Amino acid sequence: MAQRAEGCPKVFPEADLVPSEHLKFVNRFTVKRADTCISCGTCQSLCPYGVHKRVEGHVKILPPDDRKCIGPSCSVNYFFCVANCPTNSLSVGASDTFISLGDPRWTSDMILATWQQAETGQPISLDHAGNIGASGGGFDKLQFKFPENKRKLSPEDICTAIDLNRRGSGEKIRIPIPIYGGGMSFGSVSLYTMLARAKAARKWNTFTCTGEGGYPDALVPYKDHVITQIATGLFGVREETIQRARIVEFKYAQGAKPGLGGHLLHDKNTPDVARMREAVAYTSLFSPFPFHSVYSVEDHKKHLDWAHAINPRALMSVKVSTPNDVEMVSVGSYFAGAHIVHLDGGYGGKVAAPEIAKKNIAMLIVYAIPKVHKFLENEGIRDEVTLIASGGLRTAVDVAKSIALGADGAVIGTADLVALGCVRCGNCESGRGCPRGIATTDPVLDKLTDADWGAERISNLYNAWRLQWCDLLSRFEMTDISQLRGRTDLLVHGNGISKEVTP
Amino acid sequence: MFERYRVPIKTVAGRAAPIPEFVITRAENCVNCGKCEKSCIYGVHKRSEQDPRKMADPINNLCKNCFRCIQDCPQRALAMSPGPEYTSLGRGVWTSLRMLTIYDEAETGKIPVFGAGYRGAFAGPGYDGMWTDMSEIVRPTRDGIHGREYISTGVDIGRRPGYLKFSGDGRLVTGLQPLIEIPIPMVLDVTRMRIVSPSLLEGFAKAALSLGSLLFVKAGMLMPDGLVGRTKHIVTVQPEGTDVESMSLPDDARMAELNYSDSWRKDARAFRARFPKTVLSFRMQAATGVERKIAELAMGGVAAVHVLYDEEGLEPGNGDRHAKDSLKAIHRAMVAKSIRDEITIIAGGGIAAAEHVPKTIICGADVVSLERALMIALECRNHITCSQGSCPINVKSASPDWVEARVENLVGAWRDQLLEVLGAMGLREVRRLRGELGRAIFYEEVEREAFSEIEGGAADGTAR
Repeated sequence: MAQRAEGCPKVFPEADLVPSEHLKFVNRFTVKRADTCISCGTCQSLCPYGVHKRVEGHVKILPPDDRKCIGPSCSVNYFFCVANCPTNSLSVGASDTFISLGDPRWTSDMILATWQQAETGQPISLDHAGNIGASGGGFDKLQFKFPENKRKLSPEDICTAIDLNRRGSGEKIRIPIPIYGGGMSFGSVSLYTMLARAKAARKWNTFTCTGEGGYPDALVPYKDHVITQIATGLFGVREETIQRARIVEFKYAQGAKPGLGGHLLHDKNTPDVARMREAVAYTSLFSPFPFHSVYSVEDHKKHLDWAHAINPRALMSVKVSTPNDVEMVSVGSYFAGAHIVHLDGGYGGKVAAPEIAKKNIAMLIVYAIPKVHKFLENEGIRDEVTLIASGGLRTAVDVAKSIALGADGAVIGTADLVALGCVRCGNCESGRGCPRGIATTDPVLDKLTDADWGAERISNLYNAWRLQWCDLLSRFEMTDISQLRGRTDLLVHGNGISKEVTP
Repeated sequence: MFERYRVPIKTVAGRAAPIPEFVITRAENCVNCGKCEKSCIYGVHKRSEQDPRKMADPINNLCKNCFRCIQDCPQRALAMSPGPEYTSLGRGVWTSLRMLTIYDEAETGKIPVFGAGYRGAFAGPGYDGMWTDMSEIVRPTRDGIHGREYISTGVDIGRRPGYLKFSGDGRLVTGLQPLIEIPIPMVLDVTRMRIVSPSLLEGFAKAALSLGSLLFVKAGMLMPDGLVGRTKHIVTVQPEGTDVESMSLPDDARMAELNYSDSWRKDARAFRARFPKTVLSFRMQAATGVERKIAELAMGGVAAVHVLYDEEGLEPGNGDRHAKDSLKAIHRAMVAKSIRDEITIIAGGGIAAAEHVPKTIICGADVVSLERALMIALECRNHITCSQGSCPINVKSASPDWVEARVENLVGAWRDQLLEVLGAMGLREVRRLRGELGRAIFYEEVEREAFSEIEGGAADGTAR
């Protein structure tokens, strides 16, 4: 176990109930009442969940409120409405809306579980259906081998903190959970979304990142918890934005569109966004690829030295995508002076990207982590690098799997947005943008998100995730999350599990 | 003057009713309050024009699955379900999503862009079990979207000599063989289509002409009047058992295709004698031993071969080997004999999405032939009743201009996506992509590399 520069944080923000009325629409099951119903009221008197209701004085019974229904498994109960209906008018089945919600990577269960954790702050169990996707590969095919639990450790005794600076020089920064927020630019997401993430980051003493769209003034009060990103477009990058950051992130490429640069469609480039990016409003903005000042690893070092000269106390993070030779890129970044090597694999991505790039270009993070981890170990520099993984990590268990494969921590993007109520409809890029006001700059739509409400939801999610990591570590009788790193022996691959995951 | 190649793109609306991915149903307890109309930002819900007291049926094809109307409905009268027509559309590698994507590309000519990450299965059989590489640091002239015009997508069909030989007095000694240069690595092939009408053929031919590509037709297919004398872009495929001594070709034919048979040496010799200015290609169904046969063709002086796979991209025999593995075997066999550059390989069958073009080329093909995708671009609904003359969208009645525009849009969108892939890899021409197996990531290999130490980890990494 690595020597700790300081003690482990013991105080965490408390979870609070943060409900969202408008996320209660999803019903897992559909209860149908046929015309043959005579409104006798038997179902109302039987159902303890309140699916069937009659307004006082009304003759007819109301349509079933199927959100409260527990489904066909209720048939074992004496109060099962379908079996007890004298006219056989009731039926219960799976809900189409529920099926329409998710996709193989983010299943309906996973979205609902994330909402539930964001609402209550309470963890789901490690084997909950919301902790594994149905994509049939990658994280969905890896599982932990839990030993029989002998001794239950209390979450207070477990440390989930990681160090972001493992080199000899520079500020020692430790975050109490092994995750921080990924870059989402002003323009691709609304200011309220950025604020919500920054507030949550301050509560948890971790970080969020500006993305490449500049540093809005509203984020300045949170500057100790905001990473300044320097991306190829250099939108809104100024000396003062670099000087106020504790961590500066160089973005070479991103997993959702590796090697393609960035692209903000003209509709989302509203006057506010344009001012921040020092560009003309309502024009499409391209962030080129690559850095045209960097054509070699020596140039890369010059780049980091340049930022270091502007802000000598900031840690340097290098965000790269995952080519075949990702391990060489990581070593190059280390020798150029990076404190954090951030690998961003494919399949992830928060907002708009070409389909062909998301699915087909570059290596997936689940392959890249062990490759880089082993290589850095063989080079003898593993303990001086903080290796951060991102790109398609959806749950606390995915983060734990990444750590077991060899990463130190992870960067979270989509899960933050789902906590804010994203349904993953995927229309972030079109026209006015997000119908939920998360990934939009439309002056009407962005009022749909409230920053304080959002911060509480994200904070709740982090709390639920921390408790899941504590549970997981306790089952392996570990007291520190750094003990989990590289423990591939604790994983079992789906090819060895008899029950195949359906693709 | 040098003119930059570009595909003409213009939006061409479909002829058939669009297929909605999701269907919203309105239950009877709707009170017509109109809340859904306000909450939808895509215009799915509208009041009825006949009777403004009532809500009209939802316009499902505008729906983008955001659930806002459902969450806002005070009566909980709305429900969303996957569209039945959509879910029953696809078969095999021609999935519903791919078909809808092709409809869209053929309509707009644009690259499909969506948010919120990739949503499908992790990996799959065939081309779904490979990824292309990218490069973190690349040369100048690559500047996001603005560097794309420096990338060449041109390829050659025929044999280009590696060097030229001159005699002592400066005369060219190397015998030059016919060579066709096309600006995109995609050709159009209608020989295996179930329906081809004269107006479709005219549309495809016009598209091939304006794209600068080639159209492969069966010999004897009736050429529409409008194309007489403009057949430079048309390649006739001769039926099996054609006698080369007596066959005829249009005067301006740049290329012709013969079916591969045991008498190929004799056929090739006779063809070269009769049509010295025409590129000869042999067409063969990929099957066990295809790599040996192609190597023989290359050594026997044949300049091009057209390898065919079935609609799923499989070759019969060899455990239904996929084109990915088959082309890799062909490419490697020829590289081992140092004859890869002697022959142009055109591969067709199972090309169902834009990403299949670069992937086929990485596996070893020089040129990709589009077949089924062309029909899907015309909104083919994948019914199997074509042979009985019944088509739900009556594709035969499409006008040549409409066909031309749809095909151009599809090819334009696919070329742009090819540029994305080349750009990410830092390659400046598609010729360099051919057989670049080191710039691809194969499922079996990465699974083995990453997980072989893990219990149950894929020692063989079989893609499912």
